[in-house]
Amino acid sequence: MPQASREIQRRLKSVRSIKKITRAMELVAASKMRKSVSRVVATRPYADAAWRMVMSLIPKTNPSLHPLLDERKVRKAVIVVLSSNRGLCGAFNLNVIHKALQLLKKEGWRDDQVDFITFGKKGAQILASLKRPIIADYPKNDVTASISEILPVSNEIIEGFIGKKYDEVCLAYTDFRSSLRQEPRIRHLLPLAKPSRFLGQVGEAPATDGKDVSEYLFEPSKNEVLEALLPRLIEVQVFQAVLESEASEHSARMLAMRNATDSATDMIDDLTFAFNQARQASITAELAEISSASAAVR
Amino acid sequence: MSTFTFKIVTPERVVFESAVQKATLPTNTGEITVLPQHIPLVSRVIPGEIRITDAQNTEYLLSVSGGFVQVHPGKIVILADTAEMSHELSEERAHDAHERAKKILESKAGMTDRDVASMQVLVDKEMARLKVARKHKERGIRGGLLK
Repeated sequence: MPQASREIQRRLKSVRSIKKITRAMELVAASKMRKSVSRVVATRPYADAAWRMVMSLIPKTNPSLHPLLDERKVRKAVIVVLSSNRGLCGAFNLNVIHKALQLLKKEGWRDDQVDFITFGKKGAQILASLKRPIIADYPKNDVTASISEILPVSNEIIEGFIGKKYDEVCLAYTDFRSSLRQEPRIRHLLPLAKPSRFLGQVGEAPATDGKDVSEYLFEPSKNEVLEALLPRLIEVQVFQAVLESEASEHSARMLAMRNATDSATDMIDDLTFAFNQARQASITAELAEISSASAAVR
Repeated sequence: MSTFTFKIVTPERVVFESAVQKATLPTNTGEITVLPQHIPLVSRVIPGEIRITDAQNTEYLLSVSGGFVQVHPGKIVILADTAEMSHELSEERAHDAHERAKKILESKAGMTDRDVASMQVLVDKEMARLKVARKHKERGIRGGLLK
């Protein structure tokens, strides 16, 4: 067989095996996605309820009561970027980092005012290549099973904020809306005393629950309850964001792999067509040679 | 009979949500009973049992391992670390887990104060589960005899 069709056949073979791989990766991502989606949906009511509880308390609470409520001029801010450990998930990681960098512009922060904390390898790699200051890079498990895995991150931001290392803490994550739609988002975590800035978030609901309550009774004391409740809230929010990001990651990967599989299928069709044409051309050429040879002999 | 909405959520699921007449829960200032028209309140929940009576006068038992409670007008929300309905608990399993946790706590070998504290919480939590499971069993037998 002539050179051209052999070449085509070689390419066909490699595209076919690529298709097999991407197809397998799509299936793996789909099953991981199902798992992480069921987890994210299960924890949403709790995160929402915790958020509402705190939001209904904050407007009635004196910000000086707890260090996490302390609103001050922003000298140093930190953005926690939640990303994935692995690539091949489309623009998932780039989107969330883009969103984080947009925030800088929106808030009018200078580059040297903002530090980054990364959770997930890819985000750390991209930010490092952009020469952004990463002050901490926490290793992320591929599957975050329990809230204890994010405690190092939440402890760092809580301590950093109370120790006045940072004056504002934001969380950049990807919100899972559906398996086809994920949205990179920013959540202002600290200080907690800025309820207006929390509007337009996951599970959005007006912070007030039903009737207006003038004053809550705290038992045993306001301080003691806030002392326990606020750090817990931060943990829950970070955990929820991690779960949202994970579900988004797997759906993004599934989609990316499905697209790759589809392109491979198209390519196989094109190559098969080209191959058949080349084969037919060589047969026709051979036939023409044979018939012309026999005509010459006669 | 006037009722209010009772809701208890854990990071895993919404354990129970319904209209109830009365809810009794353990807080760190002692056990409190919430009735309709209770004043707005925020408090910490400690490991123990929660008893609720719904609109049909059925009493439910739950075990809880700590968290927060917020009483709104006409609504009570509990954010629990973990919580189970009594019928989801098995007495034997609760008993075993409680024994195990106690043993580890007693040995204390190579544990920091923090570990000991978290083990103590675990023991309390299993204790609460055990109590609720036992109560549920007793009631089950009594209920059976009445039929």
